[in-house]
Amino acid sequence: MKFTPKHIEGNVNVSKTHPLAELGWLVGGLVLLALIFYLSLGVSTDIAVAKIPVSAEVWLGEHFIGRMDALENESLQRLLQPLLDSLPADSPLHEYRFQAQVVENEQTNALALPGGHIVVFSGLLKQAESENEVAMVLAHELGHYAHRDHLRRLGRGLGLTVAAIILFGQDSAASDLASKFFLVSESHYSREQESAADRFGLELLVAGYGHAGGATDFFARVGKGAGSRIPYLLASHPHPDDRVKELQELIAARGYRVDAVIPLGQDLRKGLPLSKESPDKEPASVEDRQTSRL
Amino acid sequence: MLETIFRYPDLSLFLALMVIGYSCGTIAEKRHYKSIIKREQELVELMVVNAEGRFAEGAVRTSFLVNGSTVVSNDYFKRLLAILRNIFGGRVKVYESLIDRARREAILRMKEEARTRGAHMIVNLRLETSTIGRSANKKKSIGSIETLAYGTAVVMNRP
Repeated sequence: MKFTPKHIEGNVNVSKTHPLAELGWLVGGLVLLALIFYLSLGVSTDIAVAKIPVSAEVWLGEHFIGRMDALENESLQRLLQPLLDSLPADSPLHEYRFQAQVVENEQTNALALPGGHIVVFSGLLKQAESENEVAMVLAHELGHYAHRDHLRRLGRGLGLTVAAIILFGQDSAASDLASKFFLVSESHYSREQESAADRFGLELLVAGYGHAGGATDFFARVGKGAGSRIPYLLASHPHPDDRVKELQELIAARGYRVDAVIPLGQDLRKGLPLSKESPDKEPASVEDRQTSRL
Repeated sequence: MLETIFRYPDLSLFLALMVIGYSCGTIAEKRHYKSIIKREQELVELMVVNAEGRFAEGAVRTSFLVNGSTVVSNDYFKRLLAILRNIFGGRVKVYESLIDRARREAILRMKEEARTRGAHMIVNLRLETSTIGRSANKKKSIGSIETLAYGTAVVMNRP
């Protein structure tokens, strides 16, 4: 056998695909997968939310509230009680044991956390002028519970964060970013959800207090500081002025009376939790909880 | 811009490593292939076979072991593509060139050694491949591939 030296042109062992083209295909595929996941998450959350029992939600809420430095506030709870009493007898909200809490925070905001924890920031209480106004805020949050908006929002954020953790690991920057974006308690509801909660809140306020006084005060005051409408075109919250207008139209259409408001008591004005309970104290027992359930 | 970099040092580092990995990796690979092809053409006359050598009595003056070894490093860009490939499956095309370069470079080094020692051919060529820094790979580090080529260099009794 004769050896003929010959240099072989070309290379069969290395693929010709450009690495950037491959990166494009792979990232594109990943984005597509994520998109499908996100869309299906939205659909499945909507289906699941209606079926999640309140007890499961309470469990979730306990894990969530553990991270927030909050105390049950007796004065706030007193405002909440007439609203709860005036709920229709068949309302699903009766299954919750609502706890109104105050958190030291300068923001004028309130949150509906899973499990019936209504959190009001002290900044809101410092600005509030009447009991009715705070009651309207509480009733609005009850509206979110009635429509289970808080779970809808958390559901998708929770799913995305879990997905990020599975893909990138628990300590990675990507998971951190995902949880920051999707799991923030201050994140917003959609305009429709807010408007629906406003309507629910107004009805409840009228049922509890007999008139619609103070219903628009909070949004009117926030509206003064909100400035231009342009940033609100894309925001999830409606502009406060629009909310005031919507509420006023509803009050006029239903013929609700608007009477004098009750001034806010000093105990709430300070915006500080008054309960003597230590923050980390657990409720005495399960029976204890059962009896205090509404 | 600067604020974003400091806010997410991990992500910034990741992107920087990607860009460095791609640009430097591509330049290094192009230069390496250029040199491989040039040297392969120079050494094309030196025969290398992986068959066992059988020679007539008295044909071989001497024989000795020659070997060539090379280590080629992975880069972050290739690693990212490989990770993405792990999700979808299929050929990890970016790693093919790593293996190919390491193998050809190792054979070239072996041939260079054989030529300097005056060999006429290399028989019984064997190739071994191993990874270096495999366990380091798990700690967000990067691994390398080592290829070892070895064979028996033969010096013939030629006039």
